[in-house]
Amino acid sequence: MPQTLERTELHEQTVIETPWVTIVWNDPVNLMNYVSYVFRSYFGFSREEAERRMLQVHNEGRSVVATGPREEMERHVEAMHGYGLLATVAKADS
Amino acid sequence: MRGFRTEPDGTVSAELTIDEVAILLDLTSQFSELLRQRPAGDEAIDRLLPDAYPDDASASAEFRRFTSDGLVDRKLATAGILLESIRVAVAESTAAGATGEQATVLRLDAAAAQSWLTAIGDLRLTIASRLGIEEDGDGGAPGEAMTEVYDWLGFVQGSLVDALDGDQP
Repeated sequence: MPQTLERTELHEQTVIETPWVTIVWNDPVNLMNYVSYVFRSYFGFSREEAERRMLQVHNEGRSVVATGPREEMERHVEAMHGYGLLATVAKADS
Repeated sequence: MRGFRTEPDGTVSAELTIDEVAILLDLTSQFSELLRQRPAGDEAIDRLLPDAYPDDASASAEFRRFTSDGLVDRKLATAGILLESIRVAVAESTAAGATGEQATVLRLDAAAAQSWLTAIGDLRLTIASRLGIEEDGDGGAPGEAMTEVYDWLGFVQGSLVDALDGDQP
């Protein structure tokens, strides 16, 4: 049934093309070394990568720290809220 | 206190004065009480449980419905670990012969240190919302007791991160 197959492919393609992101926002309270520490211990970023993203949060106001399925991004955001960081979920293209 | 330092066995330690012990116990108890009551519209609660979807009120409400109880439970447990480690440290220091004004020696393993980081961070977020600290550069009213406590908690948390990172002062 080629028609069904085609639809499935299309559907999978759509799912793949619209990922979600976890965004961490700047806030005036959390210390820079704490934010960097959280990025390393939770996301497993290298010291360099964690530092780069922490500075991006600080200087540009936000950083996309993860991309993937919505449920996974919500788990990341919940974890960030546990650490006291301001984090939100958004569609990757927004 | 002079800040946390790393011990040869991998734990981190700090000496707390009797006033510092009292402040930490008092603030953490107040914080736990606030979390248990979770008053609607409280700015500190809103900051501790922020919107996950700032542009979508219903998605934010649903996220909060599924996550807030768990988050509050974990924050309470974390605050409880901080309280317990202070009580243990006070008891051990007293048993070791410390009296009156002498320092309490606090020693934290990796798990307890994690809890301390988060718990102190939550205290700072709560105090910041009371002090009206909303943007980079806001620092609360200079010279006020709560501003000084806020700054001191920042020092405690920062020095703990440095000790865990192996960056000694």
